[in-house]
Amino acid sequence: MASAKRQISSFEQFKAILRKDIVMELRTKEMLTSMGLYAVLVLIIYYVALSQAGQGFDVSRIAGGLLLLAIVFTSMLGLNRSLVHEQDQGCLEALLLSPVDRPVIFFGKAVGNLIFLILVQIFVVPLFYFIFLSGSGAQSGPWWMLALALLVGSIGIAGIGTFLATMSVNTTGKDFILAIMFIPLIFPLLLVIVAALTAVITADPGYVQTYWTMLGIALGYDAIMIAVAFALYEFILGA
Amino acid sequence: MVLMVIGGLLTTLAFFMAFYTARVQGFGTIVSEVPLDTSFALAPPNLQPTDGIAYERPWLSQKIFYFHVPVAEASFLVFSIAALFAVLFLLRKDKKYDTRSRIAMETAFVFVVATMITGVLWTRASWGVWWDWEPRLTTYFIMMVLMVAYFVVRNSVGDEERAATYAAVFCIIAWVDAPLSFIITRLIPSSHPVVFRSGMDTTNLIPFIIAQLGMLMIGYAIYVLRATEEDMRERLDILKEGLEDY
Repeated sequence: MASAKRQISSFEQFKAILRKDIVMELRTKEMLTSMGLYAVLVLIIYYVALSQAGQGFDVSRIAGGLLLLAIVFTSMLGLNRSLVHEQDQGCLEALLLSPVDRPVIFFGKAVGNLIFLILVQIFVVPLFYFIFLSGSGAQSGPWWMLALALLVGSIGIAGIGTFLATMSVNTTGKDFILAIMFIPLIFPLLLVIVAALTAVITADPGYVQTYWTMLGIALGYDAIMIAVAFALYEFILGA
Repeated sequence: MVLMVIGGLLTTLAFFMAFYTARVQGFGTIVSEVPLDTSFALAPPNLQPTDGIAYERPWLSQKIFYFHVPVAEASFLVFSIAALFAVLFLLRKDKKYDTRSRIAMETAFVFVVATMITGVLWTRASWGVWWDWEPRLTTYFIMMVLMVAYFVVRNSVGDEERAATYAAVFCIIAWVDAPLSFIITRLIPSSHPVVFRSGMDTTNLIPFIIAQLGMLMIGYAIYVLRATEEDMRERLDILKEGLEDY
C-alpha cells in the first residue's frame, strides 16, 4: 500500500479525530439533543427564578450572567459525555495506541467540543434573547460583539474543559469531579466574559472600551490556560 | 520541632511588638497625617470615621495585620513550593516528589485557612461586613476552592500512580491562579489595602519582618514534621510487608 508509507501530517491526524467525533454525533445525535434540551431546561428554571421579580425589574443587567451560566452548565454536560464515550468504547486506548501525537488528540477533542458548543449556542442564544430580552426594550450593541465574546468564552471553556474532562473520566464520581475542578479554574474567564456581555447588552455610554478591555483579558487567560493544558496533556494520557 | 518553637516565639514576639512599639498606619481605612501612639488606645474622636461603622477598638483590629499578611504570604510561598515539587514529579516520576508536593499542599492549606479566618475577622472590624465580593477576597477564595479540589481529585482516583499524576497536573494548573490573586490588588481598583505600595514605618516594619520569619519557620516545621511522619509510615509499611512472610 503506497498510502500507508506516506507520512501523515499532524493536521491530517487532527482532521481524522475531529471527523470521527462529528460522524459519531451525526449518527447518534446524542450530544446535541441532550445539550440543547438541557439548555432549554435551564432557561425554564431562569423563568421560574425571575417570575416574582416584578414589572420594573431590569433583566438586561443580569442577562449576560444568566446567558453564560446556561452555557457553562450545558458545556459541562457535553464535556463529560464526549470523554465518557471515548472511555466506554475503548476508543481512548485505541487512540493512544495509534501513532498520533498527544497534543493532536487534545486539539482534536477540544475543537470537536467547541463545535458542538457553538452549535448549541446558535440555538440557545436567540431563544434566550427571544424569551428574556425582546420585551425589555434594551438597546443592545451590535450582535457580532455578543457573538465574539461568546466565542472567546467558548474557546476557553472547551479548551480547559476537555483537558479536565480527560482527568475526570478516570475518577469515581465523574461529573462532580469535573465540576469541582472546572468551575474554579474558569472563574476568572467567566467574570470577564460576563462583564463584556453585560457591556454589550446594556450598551451604556463608553461600553465599547470596557468590552475590548475585558475581551483582551479573556483572550489572555484563554491563551495561558490552553498553553498550560497543552503542555500537561501528555502526562494525563500517560498516567 | 525546634523550628516550630522558634517560629512560635518569633510570631509571639512580633505580636507583642505590634502592640507596644508599632505605630498605627491607616492601611486603606483611615489615613492619618500624625503618627499616633498605639497600644490598646482608642482612636481620637476626630479620626473616627463619620460614615459607616463606629469602632470600639479601631487600632486593635489593625494589629491583625502582623498575623494576616505573613500567613498569607507564606501560603503563596508554600503553594509555589508544592507546584515546584509537582513539576519535579512529572519530570522525574519519583514518588518522593509526589509525597513532598502533597505535604506542601497540606501545609499551604492550613495557611490559607488561617489567612481566611484572620481576613474575615479584619473585614468585619474594618469594613463592617464579614465578607465582600472584592477582587482579592474573591480570587483568594477561588484559590482555596482549588486547593480543596486538589484533595478531592487526589482521593477520587483509585490507582495510586495515576492519582499522583493527576494531582500534580492539577496542582500546576491551579497554581496559575495563585499569582493572579497576588497581583490582582495591584491591577484592579480594590478595597483590599496594598500596604507595601504606601510604605511602612521602621517601627512597623521590624515586627512585621519578625512575624514573617516566624511564620515561614512554622510552615517549614509543619512541613518537616509531616514529611517525617510520612517517611516513618512508609518504613512501617515495608516492615509490615516483611513480617507477613513469617
